[in-house]
Amino acid sequence: MLPENHKELSGCYSKFERPYLESPEIFRIKFSKTGNLQYISHLDLQRTFHRVLVRAGIPMWYTKGFNPHAKLVFALPLPIGCESMCELADLKIEREITEDEIKAQLNAQLTDEMYILDVYRPNTKFADIMYAEYRIIISSPNIKPDTAEIVSKLFSSPFYMMKKTKSEEKEVNISDFVKSFEAFFKDGAIEIKTILSAGSTANLNPEYVIAALKDRTDIFGCDALKCSYNIMRTRFYDRDMLEFR
Amino acid sequence: MSENERILNALIKQVSKPGRYCGGEFGQIIKDKSQIKARFAFAFPDTYEIGMSNLGIRILYDCLNKENDIWCERVYAPWTDMQEKMEEYNVPLWAHESKDEVRTFDFLGFTLQYEMCYTNVLNMLRLSGIPLYAAERGEEFPLIIGGGPCAYNPEPVADFFDLFNIGEGEEMLVEIVRLYIKMKAENRYTKADFLHEAARTIPGVYVPSLYDVTYNGDGTIKAYTPVFDDIPVKVEKRIIKDMDKAEFPKQVIMPYTEVVHDRIMLEVFRGCIRGCRFCQAGIIYRPVREKTPDVLNNQAKCLFENTGYEEISLSSLSISDYSGLAELTDKLLEWTPDNMVSLSLPSLRVDSFTKELMDKVATVRSSSLTFAPEAGTQRLRDVINKNVDEDDLLRAVNVAFDAGKTQVKLYFMQGLPTETEEDLKGIPALAKKVIESFYANPNRSRSRSPQVTFSVSCFIPKPFTPFQWEPQDSLEMLEEKQTFIGECVNDRKIKYQHHDAKTCRIEAVLAKGDRRLSKALELACNEGFRFDAWSEFFDYDKWISVIERAGLDPSFYANRRIPYDEILPWDIIDCGVTKEFLIRENIKAHEGVVTPDCRTHCSGCGANRLGGERTCCPKITKN
Repeated sequence: MLPENHKELSGCYSKFERPYLESPEIFRIKFSKTGNLQYISHLDLQRTFHRVLVRAGIPMWYTKGFNPHAKLVFALPLPIGCESMCELADLKIEREITEDEIKAQLNAQLTDEMYILDVYRPNTKFADIMYAEYRIIISSPNIKPDTAEIVSKLFSSPFYMMKKTKSEEKEVNISDFVKSFEAFFKDGAIEIKTILSAGSTANLNPEYVIAALKDRTDIFGCDALKCSYNIMRTRFYDRDMLEFR
Repeated sequence: MSENERILNALIKQVSKPGRYCGGEFGQIIKDKSQIKARFAFAFPDTYEIGMSNLGIRILYDCLNKENDIWCERVYAPWTDMQEKMEEYNVPLWAHESKDEVRTFDFLGFTLQYEMCYTNVLNMLRLSGIPLYAAERGEEFPLIIGGGPCAYNPEPVADFFDLFNIGEGEEMLVEIVRLYIKMKAENRYTKADFLHEAARTIPGVYVPSLYDVTYNGDGTIKAYTPVFDDIPVKVEKRIIKDMDKAEFPKQVIMPYTEVVHDRIMLEVFRGCIRGCRFCQAGIIYRPVREKTPDVLNNQAKCLFENTGYEEISLSSLSISDYSGLAELTDKLLEWTPDNMVSLSLPSLRVDSFTKELMDKVATVRSSSLTFAPEAGTQRLRDVINKNVDEDDLLRAVNVAFDAGKTQVKLYFMQGLPTETEEDLKGIPALAKKVIESFYANPNRSRSRSPQVTFSVSCFIPKPFTPFQWEPQDSLEMLEEKQTFIGECVNDRKIKYQHHDAKTCRIEAVLAKGDRRLSKALELACNEGFRFDAWSEFFDYDKWISVIERAGLDPSFYANRRIPYDEILPWDIIDCGVTKEFLIRENIKAHEGVVTPDCRTHCSGCGANRLGGERTCCPKITKN
């Protein structure tokens, strides 16, 4: 949750009192996007963030040109309907400011459904992201104690599905995109922990896992209001399966 | 997560644009229900994107939520895909913030911004599980309140509402909820007693059920009779007297998804000094009341700090008429460039459009400028009292061409009173003159060719205008004129657009209608009408059918010249401007005589008796 009453740290004009850096520097922010905000598209998030940065008085570097805009780069778009506790974005900063100040000033302008978890200087590139970990919780009256076992084996053999890419829709083996996949039965619900391909070379939207379950199990074969699922992105990994930060 | 929230989550995942429904915006107000004595659901009867752009709702949301024991939430019309899901799973309409069912609220308020949203109002009541007619609602249902510009003739929807706010709601709305809380606390609340008490004690409150309407044999109104002697015979509109002191929302709700007006809207003044004879807004918001430049500059700074918006739009009816415009823009420009904020003006009058002004505002960025000459000839512009001439327009477009602009948009109206073929030909002719003046301009852009887009809407006679007695052209005539204008265009640099004449006709019926239209609207609701302001859902034949099945003739409302002495449905409302003034203006229109603007010379419209600070009206002292 957000710390209380740190509004006084903010002030959108405060940035003008900060001295310029010799050259602009990159800071990485890690933030959450949960609850209602899972329905906000990537494009909308970008626009929102620009306004948050202005309100928070973050001394952003602006492109020099006819239509100046701040330099803000997001790691990987989060699908609509997916929550996250590990979103990353890089900011280009032109005046002196500390990591703690960035975090506090931004959080004063955010809500507990989207807030800054961490701010640091990055030594990696977003292009190095290869995998993302997701936690999927499914509740449905059709779930039985042995459902988890069936679900666990879903991607242990090739699983062909139609998959959309930018230009076409073709049949691919979804299992190729699944690095690991575990399912547990917990409090009457199924909890899945899975690591899927992510990034520009290969990427799998976790909704395909739901689609596969709809196809192969009867978990969702009931009144749509009685069964529900929740997807949360929890972590990024690089090619060596080390946590990306 | 409440059961309601869980169900909504399941629905949201199945519809397009889920960002419309999810809420959770920065700046939304969440309150502890246990501390709340009255819950108010403020509904905008159209989509989230349109509703979130409305400044009025934002102001009233803020006014109500400043009260600790009142919680005001927002409600929008669900899009058709969401409506289908709601009906499929039997989920009633909910409020945006708490996700609680609207029908459990104490109040449900609708802002009536345009007539074509009436079917959405009824549809939203239906989706909430609330009976349409006020008379059919028991004590267990919320009080249904209406306000906004269409409430100046609320009669077509009067039977569906418990009460209307006539005029500016900032103070009135809080007074209404306060009275409700007080009567509940004193244990003397019943709906009937509350409505009577509100009508009796709160100025600007109109309770339609407390007025009996009788009709003559020819369908005209015979009389409005108050049910009690202690309620006003005519309901006088409320105004905020001192705009500098008017409540203004410092914390704006920041939408996540793109909405229509996604910028700071700085309300500079209310009213309009002009008095174009077709314009309802120019009359009902009188008298003109300005804010001072210093107050506005401080409000703009405050809004910028709280929003981070990159654009400030100076919003008022005819912004270039603001007496402090130069001072205000100078003050704003002291700080906006450093903060990457640009200024914009929503409407420009050709007679006040200067290079100096253009340089200050963001319209520089876009290559297009919009002007509204409204009519094609000087004769007709004099009839409608649009006090601009051709030279003004050509001077204004040359300012734009000098600056390298190449695109001009022009707005016109057809079907205006006294209109002749000459006037219609004048519309494309004026567009052609704009093209010609581009090529005559030595500083014009050499790289791009000019483009003039002219858009022609149909004249709709509106209540409280000097043209309220005028007939609208028949549908055939309106469509014939549209074709005729199109045939006069023979230049590829000129683009012609026109509004749908059929919608304009139904709008005229609803604008000038009386209480008997409620039957037609009920039929419309039962037959699934909604989003009639959206061309893809509007069905003219079905509209005519419901009006006729209600036993009514659309021509009676839209196409009849009304005598000055006939009782009008909206005579129950007093908007400040006298009927005598409107009659004088109607006569002058037919004589082709113009009336000067309020600042040049007071024409005695009567609105000054409402009072007001920083007006240009002569003061009168009330006895």
